[in-house]
Amino acid sequence: MQETETTPLRVAVADDALLLREGIQKVLEGGGIEVVASVGTGDELLEVVAGGGIDVAVLDIRMPPSFRDEGIVALETLRASGTDIGVLLLSMYATPEYALRVMGAGSGTGYLLKERVSEPQTLVRAVESVAAGGSVVDPEVVEQLVARTRADDPLDRLTERERSVLELMAQGYSNGGIAQTLFLGLKTVETHVRSILQKLDLEESPEHHRRVLAVLTLLGAR
Amino acid sequence: MAPGRKRRIALRTAVIVAAVALSLTMEISGFLATPEAERDEISYTTLHAAVPLVFAACAGVAWRIGPTRIPSRLMIAVVVLWIPQSIYHVIGDLGWLWPIVRGVDLGWAVVTGVLVLIYPRGWLHGGFERWIAAIALVASLVNLVTVLLFGTPGPETCDCVPNPYQVAEIPMLFSTLDIAYRVIGGLLALLIAGRLLVQWVRGSVPARTVAFLMPLALLAWATTLAAQAASYAAQSTSGEVLETISLIAIASVPVSFVAGISHTRNMRARVADLMRITREGADRGLWAESLARTLRDASVRVYWWDEERGGYFDAAGVPIGPHVDPRGSQSILPVASPLGVPIALIRHDRVLTDNMRLLDGVSSALRLSVDNGRLRSEIERTLEQVRQSRQRIVEAGVDARRRIERDLHDGAQQRLVSLGMSLRLAADRAGELGDPELLTDLEAAIDDLTKGLRELRELAHGIHPSLLSAGGLALAVPELAGRCPVPVAVDVQAEGRLPEIIESTAYFAIAELLANVAKHSGGTRAWVRAHLHDHELELVVRDNGVGGASLDGGSGMLGIDDRIDAVGGRLELESPLGAGTTVTIRIPTAAAAGE
Repeated sequence: MQETETTPLRVAVADDALLLREGIQKVLEGGGIEVVASVGTGDELLEVVAGGGIDVAVLDIRMPPSFRDEGIVALETLRASGTDIGVLLLSMYATPEYALRVMGAGSGTGYLLKERVSEPQTLVRAVESVAAGGSVVDPEVVEQLVARTRADDPLDRLTERERSVLELMAQGYSNGGIAQTLFLGLKTVETHVRSILQKLDLEESPEHHRRVLAVLTLLGAR
Repeated sequence: MAPGRKRRIALRTAVIVAAVALSLTMEISGFLATPEAERDEISYTTLHAAVPLVFAACAGVAWRIGPTRIPSRLMIAVVVLWIPQSIYHVIGDLGWLWPIVRGVDLGWAVVTGVLVLIYPRGWLHGGFERWIAAIALVASLVNLVTVLLFGTPGPETCDCVPNPYQVAEIPMLFSTLDIAYRVIGGLLALLIAGRLLVQWVRGSVPARTVAFLMPLALLAWATTLAAQAASYAAQSTSGEVLETISLIAIASVPVSFVAGISHTRNMRARVADLMRITREGADRGLWAESLARTLRDASVRVYWWDEERGGYFDAAGVPIGPHVDPRGSQSILPVASPLGVPIALIRHDRVLTDNMRLLDGVSSALRLSVDNGRLRSEIERTLEQVRQSRQRIVEAGVDARRRIERDLHDGAQQRLVSLGMSLRLAADRAGELGDPELLTDLEAAIDDLTKGLRELRELAHGIHPSLLSAGGLALAVPELAGRCPVPVAVDVQAEGRLPEIIESTAYFAIAELLANVAKHSGGTRAWVRAHLHDHELELVVRDNGVGGASLDGGSGMLGIDDRIDAVGGRLELESPLGAGTTVTIRIPTAAAAGE
């Protein structure tokens, strides 16, 4: 992931709260990312993106005019128009339903809690990840989904280790990322992943974000 | 009450029987005592004896149905006063008695006159009637005194012993006063009859059918009375035919009296029908029609008081005309509530004023009708106000929740997130500056802040889930179910969005019901269903727990019910012990005001 160092990522930020917009800008710039535009609404962001030269859009979900899900709508508009830049959605709440919708929009998308701005590395890594076509889901969303209780829970079939791996899979980690995070060998992680997919009746997907979506869907639909 | 009534009936029967017995005895003994040559024809005598019997019978009836007790007492008095006419021959030898009997031998006529005067109310209510009665009474007293002081037994009445009370023998004065008395009586009778006749002619058609017999009888009687007075004055005996007509006319007076009263009573029974119509809440047009039917007076008009327009209008909205001439055939009956608020004017035939009880009944019915209507509309208005204000309160609550959540989201939460970022920058600086202690402190502060933010997030979400505003029940309910520690199967088929108040009410109802499932039911599974059909949102929350939930328990079920009620919905609770709890909520989606 260090190959981006030569040309910094160009990011557009959209949030109606100026304070946070500036904070996000500061954090990203601190991580070597160039913030080329900072706007207050989804529509303005779409205009900026249409202008070209943007690698990643960082968006608040709740923005004017209706303060509902403007950010996700903007993402869906971008994807519908065939724009495949990375899009990272920020929200004050960890809402699995939103995470699923964001993942459902396609690859190169992410969903994070706003408070991750106090974890610069998380935010920067997420921007870099979606820029590279990866998927990012906030750990709290996964935590919520896993915490959901179900009768006859398929998760009961997993081992403790497999559960940890599954949670990271849901957060959008690649096998390499999982191995790094859990201090495991890549082979071991691959074995765990295969076992998990088998136990949960999931097919190994060639596309990384499809795996995330499948895992999230499974967690949400349990 | 029953024993008193029985005793009264027995007493009345005894009085009537005694009067009849006395009358018959006297009639027969009078007939027997009369020298054969002077006796009237047997048919006439029979008729003569029958008159008091008719009076007695009518007295019995009048006692039962009369407006007051006066008519029946007067009728009994006639029975007794009828006797003197026929017993001169029996008491002719009793000097102390016959002048008294002779002095009151026209008393029956006076009493009959009074009886007519008090028809149909049962008492002397007008100035005219009181004057006539007073004149008759004075004339009768003068007559009695005249007979006592100057009376000489005439050969045509009896062969009596001399009058012991006589003070002077002035035949001229005696006969003049005697004749004058009869003439005055005849004139008064004619006057009464004439007045009745005029009333009858002026009255409406229904009024005439009510009382045609009385003036007719009275006229016949008054005519014969006048004729008799004239022939008495001319010292000639009146003819048999005239006498017979006179008797029949007299006998028909109490009969028509009783018939008239009975007719009135029937009208009162119809007032009861009117009351029934009133109670059923008929509209004003129908009510006025029923009133006309009740009173048998098609000319009846009801004008209702209209507060807004400040006047009286009939059911069709036509205002009341200029005040009717009080001397005309119509009268106006104002009806007001007990507090004096005008209700209506009833324009009716004047003859109905003779029957105040009937009009009282009508007034009461009207008052009841209007009171009912007023109460009903007042209750409806109040209820509607309460309903609306309750909905407004609930809406205000929803509004407040949303506002608080937004304020938290845009205010405190943003600031704390921003603060976290500042702390992170400070911590990084501390790291760069090589101050591990400060770094540790700042890391701890960030940790605390993160926890605080998490709590605040949960709180804000609980106050008003942003997901509900954004995605409606279809998104918010599954999310809600996901938070429930008991596994919940969710089935939401609410296409599109519903008015916010309904979504919010439904959402929080489900939230509380699921909290109940987790806290009280002891169940291991729960089901939530939200379906929309025919402008009605149907929510079903079910669990497989212990059941036994009730609306009055401490489970907050009553509060849920209240809020459902406020948006016009209904809540059904089915919770048999040991068989789980099913709560079904139905909310009309069209009824809620606004989006």
